[in-house]
Amino acid sequence: MSIALDTRPSVRSGARAAQEAARKAPALLGKVLSAVLVLIAAASVTFFAQLLIPGDRATTILNLQTGRSQKWSAAELAPVNEKFGFDHPVLVQWLHYVGGLFQGDLGTSFTQYRPVTQVIGDQLLPSLVLTLSALVVAWLLALTITLLTVKRGRFVSGLGSSWEAVTASLPPYWVGVVLLVLFAVKWPIFPVIGGTDLWGTVLPVLTLAIPLAGFLGQVTRDEFEKVLDQPFVTTARTRGMSDTGVRLRHALRHSVLPAITLSGWALGALISGAVIAENIYGRPGIGQVLVTAVNTRDVPTVSGIVLVVAAVYVVANLLVDLAFRLVDPRLAVSKGGQR
Amino acid sequence: MKTPLHRLLALGATAVLATGTLTACGSSDESANGGTPVKGGTIVYAHEQEPPCIFGGWIQQAYISRQVLDGLVTLDDNDQVQPWLATAWKVSPDGKTYTFTLKDGVKFTDGTPLDAEAVAYNFDYWENKGGNSTAKVSIDPYFKSAKAIDATHVEITLTHPYTPFLTLITQGYFGIQSPTALKNRSAKENCEQPIGSGGFTVAEWKHGQEVILKKNPNYTSWPATAKHQGPAIVDEVQWKFVPDGVSRYASLTTGQTDVVYDVPTVNWKEAESKFDTTLYITPGKPVSAYINTVKGVFTDKLVRQAFSYGADRKSAVEAGFHGVIPYEGNGAVSQATPDYNADAAKDYAYDPDKANALLDQAGWTGRDSDGYRTKNGKQLFVKFPYPAGAVINTEGAVVLQVLQEQWKKIGFNVKLIPATQAEVFAGKYSGPDAYDASPFYWTSPSPSILWIVWRPSTEANPNGNNQSFYNNDELARVIDEANTSTDPAKASELYQQAQQIISDNAVTLPLYTQNSTYAAAKDLKDFWLEKSQGEPVFADAYFTK
Repeated sequence: MSIALDTRPSVRSGARAAQEAARKAPALLGKVLSAVLVLIAAASVTFFAQLLIPGDRATTILNLQTGRSQKWSAAELAPVNEKFGFDHPVLVQWLHYVGGLFQGDLGTSFTQYRPVTQVIGDQLLPSLVLTLSALVVAWLLALTITLLTVKRGRFVSGLGSSWEAVTASLPPYWVGVVLLVLFAVKWPIFPVIGGTDLWGTVLPVLTLAIPLAGFLGQVTRDEFEKVLDQPFVTTARTRGMSDTGVRLRHALRHSVLPAITLSGWALGALISGAVIAENIYGRPGIGQVLVTAVNTRDVPTVSGIVLVVAAVYVVANLLVDLAFRLVDPRLAVSKGGQR
Repeated sequence: MKTPLHRLLALGATAVLATGTLTACGSSDESANGGTPVKGGTIVYAHEQEPPCIFGGWIQQAYISRQVLDGLVTLDDNDQVQPWLATAWKVSPDGKTYTFTLKDGVKFTDGTPLDAEAVAYNFDYWENKGGNSTAKVSIDPYFKSAKAIDATHVEITLTHPYTPFLTLITQGYFGIQSPTALKNRSAKENCEQPIGSGGFTVAEWKHGQEVILKKNPNYTSWPATAKHQGPAIVDEVQWKFVPDGVSRYASLTTGQTDVVYDVPTVNWKEAESKFDTTLYITPGKPVSAYINTVKGVFTDKLVRQAFSYGADRKSAVEAGFHGVIPYEGNGAVSQATPDYNADAAKDYAYDPDKANALLDQAGWTGRDSDGYRTKNGKQLFVKFPYPAGAVINTEGAVVLQVLQEQWKKIGFNVKLIPATQAEVFAGKYSGPDAYDASPFYWTSPSPSILWIVWRPSTEANPNGNNQSFYNNDELARVIDEANTSTDPAKASELYQQAQQIISDNAVTLPLYTQNSTYAAAKDLKDFWLEKSQGEPVFADAYFTK
């Protein structure tokens, strides 16, 4: 949470803005550089980690092409090793890979013979749609339930917190299958295999959003309860503010901060964990591609996806920082000086 | 059969009536019995696994390439070879030369003529250019050359007579592709969009989702086993990938798909009453465990036999698969394979007393504190990794766990290790040090699969498929003699003898047949499976109204 970005919405003269920008340029450049380093490191670590896994890549490629599980002779492996450059020293392979990254080349899939950028590109949009929607829906569910049930008497509060505890602990696969059986089979409102259209996206989104909502709700509720006991809330109430007003205008801002922090993590986790929803609903996405690529030791594809997921984390954390400032002006004040 | 309009109608109907199952076309009453045939439409098919390419040596690739590529010959339901691209063939008296007469005027969908040159090129591509290693291994020791005599006659020469040759080339791995496409296009294009002369062409592959197959309107080369003459009746097949079994079956019951692959066995009874179902028992090596004969406890034949006798595999299979999937007692080839030895399948009926006696005889007479047998202070331990997922599904894993308990009673400590697909393909469990027993299957329409699996592995000519590491020269001789015999009766006798040798030596642990199950909506007619390995065929299928 230490990334300093000034988001004060004040009106400035053009000259002053330019000055400001010039002053901040090195800082911004630093941010971009460190982000790039993080991404290269992520891709490199994945690259080497995959080489450490026991089992030879050429063997995997041959077994995959033939649906077998056997050992192959050196003579059979040699052409594959040569074709994919496995016969070069590992360091050379790595330099070649990182060099390619700077030219936007993530390599070629060992199994599909397509550029990895294309393998991922096809799947990225459905994945982003799924995960972002899931995050938004999870937030809506969590906020609605928290606002309606926190500190509303023992019964209602208990109902709210039990709902959160239960949904947070539900395995997503189970949620997915129950939703499928209820809303696609028993009451066929939604399609079983939805593809990427809007209607078909509803159940996959809920599959991911419900457990996440429980989780976000739990965190928010704890904070909300604490805030409602704060002196400033009592002050507000003594001024004659309505309960709804207190909840929306005072308590909410404070209590969503931990959940916002978690959202950065959740976005990254969702994009790689979406495979469960993708499998159940036959939906394309990089989760599925990742699982297949790991299974088939398709090193360039796995590294490429890790790179994309890392990028999502980086961007998500930047957004979290921004959101923090919008929600909690104290941060902007403490970093940006007097208001 | 899903257009947005259909879906809206379906939605409206269910919202108002709250009825249950909708059929694919939205009409439901007449479709149960006959009905009026409809031309056109889209078949939506839910398959399980998405292969990396549409052509290759894995059955997952053959399933889909069968829609796009034609073969020289095909297999009918009685295991007889029938004409396809080849209208006739002649075998020389010495059994070494096959001359095929090709159907005249057939063109690939890129316009290249499908002539003798093209066929010869494909044989060379499989055999010498790494085009298809399963095609290669099927004909390998016997294939010599392929050459075009004239435009419509191609001659295949073998090194020895090889009776199963025609049967083997009926598999999808032997689909003929356009040489122009193979030579001039990138690996990626040939992977994604093979060019054949088949009933469909690959229009688009939406990775992670579906392959769109479009009707080839100029189709002229249907096989003799086709259910109608002419191009495909439907316009399109949407070949969807739905890895989850619950969803696949649900997509059929809700009318969203017309055909599904691999129905979960718990749903099989219901599926049989609601849909047109097919249970295809795959010929070739069934799901049976390779037994490591060179290292560990199973180097002793008595211990191997005790292992086979020592657990009630038949009951475990029947319970584990809800009576849907048959037990297979012959570990060498399945009951769907020609020249199957049914007697060998009865060799190791559950007999714990006999198993105990064999173990005593083998010297495993001690017992440790956990009740496992010991010999010279060593525990009777069996490392049993199994490929979890596509080979041994969750039901299969339950069967293994039941067996594990029974083996424990006679003193075996069997450690089951679920191996991920990544580990399996990476060959983690592939050497003599990696396991004592490990199950796998290998589909093939011919008992000549015995040669692929049991050919002795030598320094000069290693055989990675012989995963029991069992070199038996007598067995090799019998199989080779069967393969090269020109007398079918003699060949059959020899193949059965080979299965008996494998059974007598207990070098596999028989488990169950490898199967494909399919369920199709009742308003879809003439959807069928070809015989060689159960590839679905959509070119004859039509809807009724």
